[in-house]
Order: sequence, then structure tokens, then C-alpha cells
Amino acid sequence: MYNILAILFKYIFIIIIYLFIFSIIRLIYLDIKGMEVISFDDRAYLKLINRKDSLPFKIEEYYIIDEVLSLGRHADNHIVVKDPYISKEHFQIVEDENEYYLEDLDSANGTYLNGDKIYDIVKLQDGDIIKAGQIEFLFVNRK
Amino acid sequence: MNKRILTRSPRNLLFLFQALGIILLLIYKGKEVDRLTVGTAVGLVLVIYLSNYILTRITRGDHYIFLITTMLVSIGIIMIYRIDEALGIKQLIWISIGIFIFFSTYFIIKKIRIWENLTYFYLVGAYLLFIITFVFGDRRHGAINWINIGQFSFQPAEIIKILLVFILSSYYSNKDRWKDIKYASYYLMGIVYSFILLLFLQKDLGTALVFYAIFLAIQFIYEEDRKLILLNIGLFLIFGLLGYTLFDHVKIRFQSWLNPWKYIERQGYQITQSLFAIAEGGFFGKGLGLGHPDFIPVVYTDFIFSAICEEMGIFTGIGIIMLFMIFVYRGFKIAISQGNKFYRILALGISILFGVQSFIILGGVIKMIPLTGLTLPFVSYGGSSILSSFIALGILQICSEEIKTKEDLDEARD
Repeated sequence: MYNILAILFKYIFIIIIYLFIFSIIRLIYLDIKGMEVISFDDRAYLKLINRKDSLPFKIEEYYIIDEVLSLGRHADNHIVVKDPYISKEHFQIVEDENEYYLEDLDSANGTYLNGDKIYDIVKLQDGDIIKAGQIEFLFVNRK
Repeated sequence: MNKRILTRSPRNLLFLFQALGIILLLIYKGKEVDRLTVGTAVGLVLVIYLSNYILTRITRGDHYIFLITTMLVSIGIIMIYRIDEALGIKQLIWISIGIFIFFSTYFIIKKIRIWENLTYFYLVGAYLLFIITFVFGDRRHGAINWINIGQFSFQPAEIIKILLVFILSSYYSNKDRWKDIKYASYYLMGIVYSFILLLFLQKDLGTALVFYAIFLAIQFIYEEDRKLILLNIGLFLIFGLLGYTLFDHVKIRFQSWLNPWKYIERQGYQITQSLFAIAEGGFFGKGLGLGHPDFIPVVYTDFIFSAICEEMGIFTGIGIIMLFMIFVYRGFKIAISQGNKFYRILALGISILFGVQSFIILGGVIKMIPLTGLTLPFVSYGGSSILSSFIALGILQICSEEIKTKEDLDEARD
């Protein structure tokens, strides 16, 4: 009697173990699929040039510019950077009729465009390098 | 009611598996089972079910690692209880303590934020544990790695394993601290090699191998001085050859791996019995209670995998390997998405620890690599193994969350 039961159960056990594994793999698959990749095709964005783990604070690899994008230490900015060389409001990028303009917001240590310190509003070109503190961004606008 | 239990959520499947396991073991053992054991088992099943539910509420981190480990634990305990009831009951208690320790570790590591800076503390702790092992150690199965405290015996190497991961993470996460010391990486290498040497003297080859693998992997990823990695691999080859020629117990392991049939009477006995058991089981196994796992020496710790293969089938064995693979994959995923470098290396180290340890023992019992005595994490019987595995799991759980550093918290207050 027990033997029949044991033989029956061994199949049930195997089925359950595999269902368990597949349900976990399915959940993980859904989890990965959920992290949709943002398409950068026709939008302007900033790409971080520094290696992400060489910076001692939190920062993302990509920032999409949606009308306006500001960087600074204060929590109200779009990019919040906890770096002492960055001012509370450091710079912002503004979109106007499909053109993008970089503006320094009277930061203490300045903003650099392709190595030159900027004092006023400057128009950005695709491939420009923006530097603030130790962070370097590449401006990409492929339109 | 039925429909709810049969929904495809892994939590419910796990519950179903455990419930069926208890029922089958009850029928198998018949009247021998006392009420207290049944009560503890049912209690544990409920605790695991609730823990899996609570975890999805209290943490925004990973929800899969605990599920996977509880599945492994369940397969293990069904088998251990079937082989030896007394050990099964003990294991039941160890697992209950383990889950409690898991949650305690989770909350302690979460509340206290000074783990990066305690490098010297970990070092002193590790050496102290080694000294204790040598002074009070007890020889068992050819290795001096047990300490007896009253009724309980425990294996300090299990704790040192976790300390090693902490030492490596606290060193590589903040290299600026060590700028003043010349050749700091060489010192680190010396320290790890001293650990490996001490383990070697205890004749605990498996753990020594795990230590080396963790060190090599983390060094390979984070060391800037690439020469050191070559040096490390070279030293390993030299020491391996030296160990093989100088020490008999290393040679025996190797020979009984190359041809166990020649030494079937003595050194090859374990491994051949293990192979017989796996072959006997076939794809679907003999059925629980219908095989002869007791023919294999130390079946409930090192050779639990062969016993599972014999009675529950190769398919269950493959299932266990898959569970470990998903677990390690989740561990690496956690490490990649962790922003804080210290916790990232910690997650990496722990995933490598589980991955390598399970590989060494699984490879050993199926005669893919030379056999070295190690426990299969979460599946094998053993108090210190279960506890240290659950501590490591708790740390991994913390690593899966976004870590707010102290500076972050201070600035948020401004």
C-alpha cells in the first residue's frame, strides 16, 4: 500500500518542483520585461561620460531632456547631485523651438562647455561636452 | 478553496509541496511520530508561508531568494527526516532558528550603518575563530573543524566564510583608506592565504577551495593591479602541486577521483556508493522510503544529493541544480543593481560563496571533480551550516534594497 503511494508521490513531487521553478522563472521574466528600455531615437538627452562607479554619489547613466533639465545639489532639481563642487542650482538646459540652450545659474565653480567656462546662455550642438564639478555629460541630439 | 491553492504562485506551490511531504512522511513513519514533531513541522510550514508573504510587504528588494532557499530547505528536510528521524527533528529546530536569524540579520544590518569601516574587527574575529578551532577543536571525518559547546557542536569556518566576504568588501569598496599603506593588496593576499593555509592544516580542503574561489573572483573584478591576479593563479598552481606531492590526504582524494573502483574497499567507498545510489534512482527515483540511502557514509550532510537522487529521481536532482542557478543569478542581479559599492561586493561575494560551494559538493558527489567534504547549502543537515547560510541570505536580502548612506540621510534632513 505504502509503495504505491510513494511511487505516486514521487511523480507529484517532481511536477511540483518543476512548476515551482518555472513559476519563479516566469516571474523573473516578467520582472525583467517590466524594465522597459527607453528609446532615445528622436529625443535629446545627456549621457554620463564618467564611469558611474567612479563617482562617490548617486547618478544615472542617461537623462532625457524634456523641455527643461536642471542640475544642482538641491532636491528640487531634475538631476540631484550630492557633490560639494556643485552649487545648489548649478545649470539648466532649456528647450526652445527644437533648439537646446545651456545656462549657468551663477554656480560657484562654473559650468564648462567643451572646456570653456560659460557666462551666458549658450546654444548646444550634438556632441557637446558639458562639465560641472567632476561630472562630465555628453549632449546628444540626433534630430 | 481548491482553486486558490492550485494557483500558480510559487508560494502556494511551495506550501503544497511541504504539505504533501508531511503527509507522506506521516504515513511512512506510521505510529512512531509523536505529536510534538508534527506540530513543529506544521508550525514551520506556516512560518515559511507567512515569511514569504511578509517579505513582499516589508522589503522592496528581492522576493525570490527566500522562496528558492525555503524550497531547497524543504527538499532537504524531507530527505533527512526519512533517513534519520532524530536528525530530522534537530534539523527542524535549526531551520526555525535559521529563519529567525535571517530576519534578525536583516534588521541588524539595516539599522547599523558602520559595516564598511570594521575591517580590522573582521580580521581579528576571523583569526580568533581560527585559534579557538585549533585549541578546542575536535577531529571529525578527518578534519579538525568542530568545537563542542556543551551538547552543541559548531564549525567556526562557516562564520569565517562570511567574515572573509566582509573583509574583501570593506577593503575593495574604499581603497582610499589604504593609500598610505604600500602594497596593501599584497597584505590582503597574504591574509587570505594565511586563512587558506590554516584551513589546509585543519584538513578542511573544501572550505579552503571556497575561500580561494571567493578571493580570486572578487580580486579579478576589483583589483587594479592586474599582475596580482596572475600571481594568485600561479601561487594556487604551485601550492596545489606541493599539496599533492607532500600530503597523503590530498593524493588520496585525487586517486579516488580518477579511479574509485580500484580503491572501492576504502578510499573509494563513499564515492562509489554515491554513484550506485544515483544510478539506482533513475529519472524518477525509487520513491521516498524505498531506496537504501543508508549505504552511503555521511549521507545526511555531504551526500544528501545522492540520497535525493536515489529516492526522488535525477529530475529532482536537476531541479536542485536549477534552483541554485536561479539563486546565483538573482545574487548577481542584486549585485549589479546595487549602487553602494560595499554592499555590491558583499552581494557578489555571497552569491559566489553559494555558487562555488554548491558546485564543489555537487560536482564531488557525481564524480565530476575530486570530492572534498562540504555541506550543500540549505539542503544538508547541520546546525552551523544552516545558520551561517541564513545569515548570508539575510545579508543578501539587505543588499537587494537601495542603501541610503549616512551622508544621504544627513543631507535629507537639511
